[in-house]
Formats: sequence, C-alpha cells, structure tokens
Amino acid sequence: MKTPLVAIRKVSKSFGEFQALRQVSLDIWPGEVVCLIGQSGSGKTTLLRCVNQLTSIDSGGIWLDGELLGLRERGGRLHRLNEVEIARQRLKCGMVFQRFNLFPHMTALENVIEGPVQVQKRKASEAKLEAMELLRRVGLAEKANSYPSQLSGGQQQRVAIARALAMKPELVLFDEPTSALDPELVGEVLAVMKELATSGMTMLVVTHELGFAREVADRVVYMDQGAIVEAGPAKDLLTAPREARTRAFLAAEV
Amino acid sequence: MSNAPALAEGFPDLSSLKVAREPHWGRWLTAIVILAIVAAIGRAFAQGQIEWSYVGRFLTAPVIVQGIVNTMVMAVLAMALGILLGIVVAIMRLSPNPVLKSVASGYTWLFRGTPLILQLLLWFNLALVFPTIGIPGVWTARAVDLMTPFLAALLGLGINQGAYTSEVMRAGLLSVDIGQYEAAQAIGMGRLQALRRIVLPQAMRVVLPPLGNEFIGLVKATSLASVIQYPEVLHNAENIYYANSRVIELLIVAGLWYLLVVSILTPLQMLLERRFARGIARGGR
Amino acid sequence: MARLSFFIGLLALASLASVQAAELPDAIKQAGALHLTVNSTYAPMEYRDPASNELTGLDIDLANELAKRLNVKIVWSETAFAELIPALQTKRADFIISGISDRTSRRETADFVDYLVTGPQFFVLAENEAKVATDLCGKKIGTTRSTSFPAEIEKWSKQACESAGKPAAQYVPGENSIDVRNQLKQGRIDAAVQGSETLPYAQAQETGKYRIVGEPISIGYQGIMFRKDDATFRETIASELKAMIADGTYKVILDKWGLGANAVREPLLNAAPQ
Repeated sequence: MKTPLVAIRKVSKSFGEFQALRQVSLDIWPGEVVCLIGQSGSGKTTLLRCVNQLTSIDSGGIWLDGELLGLRERGGRLHRLNEVEIARQRLKCGMVFQRFNLFPHMTALENVIEGPVQVQKRKASEAKLEAMELLRRVGLAEKANSYPSQLSGGQQQRVAIARALAMKPELVLFDEPTSALDPELVGEVLAVMKELATSGMTMLVVTHELGFAREVADRVVYMDQGAIVEAGPAKDLLTAPREARTRAFLAAEV
Repeated sequence: MSNAPALAEGFPDLSSLKVAREPHWGRWLTAIVILAIVAAIGRAFAQGQIEWSYVGRFLTAPVIVQGIVNTMVMAVLAMALGILLGIVVAIMRLSPNPVLKSVASGYTWLFRGTPLILQLLLWFNLALVFPTIGIPGVWTARAVDLMTPFLAALLGLGINQGAYTSEVMRAGLLSVDIGQYEAAQAIGMGRLQALRRIVLPQAMRVVLPPLGNEFIGLVKATSLASVIQYPEVLHNAENIYYANSRVIELLIVAGLWYLLVVSILTPLQMLLERRFARGIARGGR
Repeated sequence: MARLSFFIGLLALASLASVQAAELPDAIKQAGALHLTVNSTYAPMEYRDPASNELTGLDIDLANELAKRLNVKIVWSETAFAELIPALQTKRADFIISGISDRTSRRETADFVDYLVTGPQFFVLAENEAKVATDLCGKKIGTTRSTSFPAEIEKWSKQACESAGKPAAQYVPGENSIDVRNQLKQGRIDAAVQGSETLPYAQAQETGKYRIVGEPISIGYQGIMFRKDDATFRETIASELKAMIADGTYKVILDKWGLGANAVREPLLNAAPQ
C-alpha cells in the first residue's frame, strides 16, 4: 500500500476569532500536481503554509513522508517540536512565494546557493555548479550575477523556483506564484512550473490560473470558508463540477 | 487641411511673450537684514574682550590636538560597542523568549532613563561599591586599577549608546519585510541564522543613516567624559584655562575643533543617507 | 568765632564727605547690596550645609561681617571655581571671597587683599603607611585640577623627590575636592592635596579617616580678589578687615571654623610669593 507524501488529517486553525481551517483532510501523492483554488479567505494559503509550518496548526495532524510535522506524540499528549527540529522538517518542502521574496542583497546565483551552502553545509563550488544548472533550467543562466532589483518580476520568480529546487525538496509549495506578476510575464513562470511538473516533482499550488490547473494539475481542490468543498481530477472538476458552490466560483472566475 | 482641433474665437496668442523675472524684493530685504545682523554680531565678537591671539596660539597646541584625537578614538570605540550591544539587545527584544525580552526592555529603560553624565560618574566611581572585581579564586583585580578614565568613559558612553542604538536596530529589523524571514525559514534556516544572513544585512541599510546621526551626537557627548578625567579635547582645553584664566578663548578653541569634526562628518552622513536610504527597494550592494 | 566754627564745621563735613566718598562704588550704593559669587563646594570656606542646605562657611561669615560694617546687604550667587575669575571680570561679582589663592599668575587682571594663610597640604587615609612627605615620592597624588595645586605638586616633586634621587610623584587630576576624596577612598590615589584650610573640617566630618602628612608644601594666602581698576573700593574693604582683626571679630570667626592658626596679623596686598 503506497503512502501519501503529505497526509493532512482534520487540521484546524484560527486566527483569533476567524476560523481559517475547519478540520481539513487531504492526501497528496508523490508526483502529483494538486492545485488549491478558492476565494481569498477560503483557507487555501493557510493550508499551504501549514505544510511547511510557516503557520502552526491548532489541532489535527500533518504527516510529511510519514513523519508528523511540528509535534511529537508522547503518552497520549502532543508536544511541540523545537525550532531546530522544525527547521529540519522544512527541508523537505520548497516554497515559492507570491512576492518572490528573493534576498535583495545577493545575486541570483547567491540566492540559489544560500540554502545548500548555509543550511545543508555543502561546498560552495559544488553548490554553484548545481545552481548554474538550475538557473539554466529556468532559463536564466545569463542572469546569474544580476541582483533581484535588476530582474523583472517573472525573472525573479523563476530564480525563486530555482532557489527552492536547490534544496532538493520532495515537494514544492507554490503560493499564488503568478498573482503579483504583470500579465505578459505570467507565461514564462507557468512554463517553468509546467516543466517541473513534467519532470515528476510533487507540487501543491495555490493559484487563480485555471488554465494552468486544467493543463498541468492532476487534481484540483476547491476550498471555501476553511473547508474543502470539492476535490477531484482537474479536467473533471473544472469542466463539470459537482457542487453548486464550485460551479458558482468557477463561473465568477472566468 | 490639418488635423488640429477646432478652436473658439476670443483668446489671444501669448506664445511669443516671455514670462518676466520676479524681482523678489522681499527676499532681498530679508537677506540684507540678516547679513546686517550677522555683521553686527561678528563685529561685536571681534571687538569683544576676546584675546584672539590666544585662540590662534592654542588651536594647534599638541595637548589640544591630542585631545581631539582622544575624542575621536573614544567616539569610534563607544559607537562600535553601542552598535554591538544594540544589535544583541534588539534581537533579544524581538525574541519569543519572554525572559530575553524583559532583560532587553530593562536594559533600554535603565540606560535611556538616566542621564549620561550620571552613568559616567557611576562607572568611574564603581570601586566605592565594588572595591574588587573578578571571579573569586580565578582572578581578581582592584576596581580602581581596572576602571581607568578610558574604560569608564568607554563603558559609560558605549552602554548608553547601545540603549539608543537598540531602538534604531529594532526599527530596522522590523522594517525588513516579513517575507524575507519566511523565505529564509522556507530554505531551512533557524531564527538566528535567518537574522544573521538575511534580515540583519538588509536592516543595516535602513539603520546606517540614523546610526550616522547618532555617531555625530556621540562625538559631542564624549565631552562629558571630561568630568571623569578622560583627556578629550574639552578636558584638555579646561586644563589650559585653569592655568591661564583664558576661559572664553580656550572654549572657542575646543568649539572650533568640534565644529570642524562635525562639519566633515555631516556631508559624509548625508552621502550615507543617499546611498542607503532606498537600499531595500534598490537592492544591490 | 562764628567763622572758626563755620570753618571747623566745613572741615568736619569735608572729612566726613571724603570718608563717605571713599566708602562704596556707586553701583553698590545704589543697589544697597554687594553682589558676591562663590564656588560653594569648598568646606569650610563656602559650602551648603548638608542638613539645612544653607550657604555657610568662613568666607560667608567674613563677608557678612564686612557687609554689616558697610551697611549693605549681600546678594549671593554660586558658580564653578573656574568661573569665579570671569565673574569678577564681567562685573557679575563685586569682589571674590571664595577660597581663592593669591597667585602672581592671577595678578595680571586682579589685586588680592590677603586674609588667610593657606598652603597645599598632603593627607592620606589613616591606614596609609606614609609618615613624612617624602614617603609620597613616586606615589599617586590627586588634587582638584582647576586649582593651582597641580603645579604645586610638580614643583614639590622636583625639589623633594627628583633632586633626592627618588621617583617623581604622579599627579592624578580630580574634578573637585569631593571627587578627590572619593578617589582617595577608592584607592585610585595614594594621597591627596588640599588647601590646609579645608582639612580640619574634612577630619571633623569623617573622624579618624584621614591623616595629614608633613607640613604644607608651600605657604600662600587666600585673598579677596578685586578688579585692577577698583583700588579705592579695595582699600575700603582692606581697612574694614583691618578693623575686624583689631577688635577680635576676625579671630572669633576663624576660631569658629577651627582655623585660628591660619590667621594673618593684618590684611596684606598681593603678598603671596608664588
């Protein structure tokens, strides 16, 4: 019996009065591309951030590669892991942010090797070779020595993807990767993501780009008010959704 | 026929007329008045009972030059200590650990809440409270041997400066977009590593201009160390006028040196500001 | 007969007038008060009584007596020692009676009516081993840097130490006499120098804490300091002082402060040798 790469079981999270996630459960299988869609405030970004523990959960559990995230069960009670252990667990996920979050005081190359060298303690020369390869893969080899401020939004996001890949993660999380881009730059990023999907990377993508979801995603999950309304194969859900709410959302998005 | 839009009648063609320069009589008048006042003040000083020969004679006296050197040395060292403490305390203040947070707040409260001159006097006279300092059995020293005017001034000025610098640093750290910290976490960095590699370098660009300002203030604050016998320029100027009673003349000498130093530092400070003020947006070096 | 009595009357009036004219400068007569400024950190000459915070001291008593005899009030102000001479020069003060030594270097712009014998004196903590002044050669000696004492220490060190083959004394500056005693207590300095007039008071304050070593290293005078162009006024004050010495009031005041031994026989003009 295969195990899912990510197993989310009855996860809840509130921010003060506002309940962002209500007992959400979901499996992500290795090699899958899953798109999370829904309105803002539906909990999709919160769910994403819970997977790499940028946001901590209130109850329930998330297992990554069979390991419970952020918590240790002992004698029927749950204890939070310390900072060092959480950081180690994060190494298995890469994350690409909506606002790229490249380190402005480093070149593209330096951004990409920062994790491998500083965190994984790998040799700089080795890391640089791999980084150049990754930059080539995202189509930015000639921009290796450019600073983020010298790059367009689309270029920065592609460097961010290379940076996430440099850590050799088992899955890459995308938080609305193209929402902050000018329309003419969206395509180049989606192309890279498509290539990544084709190469077999497990991807969890929060996005509004339904065209991308239709083309690339294996499954689409529609969330509303902190819960999963409907989940299913991308083509099925997007063309013939079963739930009325899903239908209403998709109609509005077009 | 041209594609220009149709125009109504009745509006003259002004395109060949030039706009006359304004005479700005008001400004001329103000300028003359101010110049007259400045000239009058200058004349009063020139005719006043100041023996300018003494000013000239002592301006480059070895003990005065040594004094301003000591001033600058102390300012630089105290600023370095202040920045170091400021960074540490700011990080403590932003820590999730409530103990560290309280200690940091306490330090800032204590050293911003008391006058600098009081702190200098306390450091210098520490031996009245602790005659010996050290670890019993390992190493002890007499407090007076340890607490020289130099060390007392350095500790007094540096630790006081640290309390102010920590607030600047804290603002700087908070000014860095939280996304930077999250991106660092996302590649597996712990809090301190993220601070050190990603957040602090970006914060430094934001804090460098206000720190430059603080440094200029510190240069002048070193004059307080004169009361604990640190031989900076004011102290040495005082010694001269204690002997020859030329109070105003020697104070002018010291004042001129301070003016010189600050006049050099201020444009440097403005350069710093221009280079780094938009550092975050510009990225790069 | 009438002409004689008229003449005598005129003479009497004239002499009275001349005496009156020699009395006080116009500004003081108009104000009906002397403006005096002191550096009130110098017990027992002038200081603020710790209990009542009132301005008190030997100089205060002498000045009050002088003012009484001249029929004027005193308006007191306080300032740092280094500001005393400027206060005189800018006429903020009519004269300075504030434990200030008569010195040749100060006579460029002022004249002194010497009224008290003084001299820089070594003292140490009671438990210190020094017995005679030369025991202090090579040691750290502190004093208030704004006084003439640093120069005195250097001179003494050359004469008594270096010329005898002993190491020179090391001068350590202090901000004021309290600061100096603080440094002595902490051990930053081995000995201190203060005017001999201050030591009976210091010893009374902290009995058994200090011990005087040797004799004053030079003899000088405390002087009442006047502007050079104020000769007439200076003479007036000097003669009043002379009267106070003659009728014993002076000695009473000095004895009150334990300084009977520092009395002068009569007020001297610019008499200090250094």
